[in-house]
Amino acid sequence: MRARISRFCGWLAAICLAGMMLVTVTDVVMRHLLGKPIRGVVDIVELLLTGAFFLALPAAFFREEHIVVDVLDHKMPRAVIWLKRLSALLAVVVLTVMAWQGYKVAGDMAMFGDVTSDLSWPKVWYWIPVLAGIIGGAIAAAVMMFARDERQ
Amino acid sequence: MSVGMIGLLGVIALLAAILIRIPIGVALAGVGVLGYAAADGWPKALKMFGTVPFELASAYSLSVVPLFILMGAIASRANMSRELFDAANAIFSGLRGALASATIGACAAFGAICGSSIATAATFSKVAIPEMRRHGYEPGFAAGAVASAGTLGILIPPSVMLAIYAVVAEQSLPKLFAAALIPGLVLALLFVITVTIVTRLNPKIAPMVPPMPTAQRLAAAKGLWKLVLLFFFAVVGIYLGWFSPTEAAGVAAFVAMVIGFATRQLTIRGLIDALMETAYATAMLFFIVVGAFIFSRFVVLTQLPNHLSNWVTTMGFSPLLVLLAIIALFILLGTFLEEVSTILITVPVLLPLVVKMGYDPVWFGIMVTVLCTIGLISPPTGLTVFVIQAQNTDIPVTRIYRGTLPFLVADFVLVALLIAIPSMALWLPTVFKM
Repeated sequence: MRARISRFCGWLAAICLAGMMLVTVTDVVMRHLLGKPIRGVVDIVELLLTGAFFLALPAAFFREEHIVVDVLDHKMPRAVIWLKRLSALLAVVVLTVMAWQGYKVAGDMAMFGDVTSDLSWPKVWYWIPVLAGIIGGAIAAAVMMFARDERQ
Repeated sequence: MSVGMIGLLGVIALLAAILIRIPIGVALAGVGVLGYAAADGWPKALKMFGTVPFELASAYSLSVVPLFILMGAIASRANMSRELFDAANAIFSGLRGALASATIGACAAFGAICGSSIATAATFSKVAIPEMRRHGYEPGFAAGAVASAGTLGILIPPSVMLAIYAVVAEQSLPKLFAAALIPGLVLALLFVITVTIVTRLNPKIAPMVPPMPTAQRLAAAKGLWKLVLLFFFAVVGIYLGWFSPTEAAGVAAFVAMVIGFATRQLTIRGLIDALMETAYATAMLFFIVVGAFIFSRFVVLTQLPNHLSNWVTTMGFSPLLVLLAIIALFILLGTFLEEVSTILITVPVLLPLVVKMGYDPVWFGIMVTVLCTIGLISPPTGLTVFVIQAQNTDIPVTRIYRGTLPFLVADFVLVALLIAIPSMALWLPTVFKM
């Protein structure tokens, strides 16, 4: 189950990445060969970038890919499982607060109707992948708090 | 309690949290927001906490990072590392330690199309180590050579590390790339010299391999066209004014894909794997970047960098002494911290001091990157060493570390050269009038 959700999140982020690559290439080709760049290419790339950065965040928790310093592991092998749970708990707290505060800022942007400079896209669109990734990450970290260590 | 004191406590709390294996991104963000709240109250701290992830996620300048990672991932999947190794082998063939020197040459070349040391080491550990062992090389020496050569990936442009330094230090990425090129090539040369000396002193670790016939050499050298083409799009195009760094990264990733498909080395499956691998790596990396920016907002708020440089000035330490202290600090951090985190944590604190001491921020970026390559191969947590050990479980870690030792000496020679001749890094950017 965890592996499946991770793959799904990975796919979403991978599609954003591929999109970034293709939009950039199309823009460069059109600008140099036809003299007609894509209008608002920066707006498009930035939206895809938020997806590429955040949508795979839950996978990073499920796959335990976060970089940790484990030099002391062999000194306290029994403590590792508890330190992992503590880490997951802290991650849940940090991500929840981040999502809550982000939601407030996003709400303000929606209320004031902020838009991007080139394409006049609502800025609040850019918040969707950000919040989805942070909330998904919080849920994934919460699940990992109760997960049994699969390697044991 | 003074605000500067809160800053100092924050740094200590961060290191403590990291040492009890809290994920680095979580530790940075958590300590950062708590410290900010302690220094300036919760309302402002929470507001900062909510906006930083968004500001970063939509920062166009950061888009270069995932695209360069993608280019390297595609190039590995498209078998380009194997071809580079064969081509480099054709050049060094017939010399003692030829396979080890070929690994260094090939890694340097691969560094020019891949931005990450871990990826470079992982790729070449599959290609070069079996080949060296088949010809009777001592396994520790073979693995040590690959681990060390892999670190060339973060120094030779394009480099993910320099892209991140450019963002935290607010420096121009094309300038940093130009500055890194000569030190990167010099380090590759120093590594080849190291191989020559080590194999002269102890010929048993690297038996002579019969030289390749000329026809075979020429055939192997032909594989280099892909490298030249990719380097052209990824790096040269920036200096010709064709692309911005982000565009160069996007175009180069695309060209790597086209070459891979055209030469039938890349499959759809391989492309998907490369995209997925990049997506996971990006999410993980970016979370650390978000944490680091939250932490650096806190550090800047506490004026810790100013306190530090004022203190250093009143103590009357000479710039060289300060630099040596910073080098020692990086080597210490490098023993347990991975290189991107090292840069993200230290640069906001140290850069103002370094600049005040009269060092150039671009030069410092190159210096810091070289110091990180040392951390990548030094015990107890040299990351490239672990990657190689994971793929060659029969070679003990201690033996790999012994294999990397001579190359560490070469790294320190480069550090000394950079201090003695700063223009080694700063000359090339002036040629491009940057």
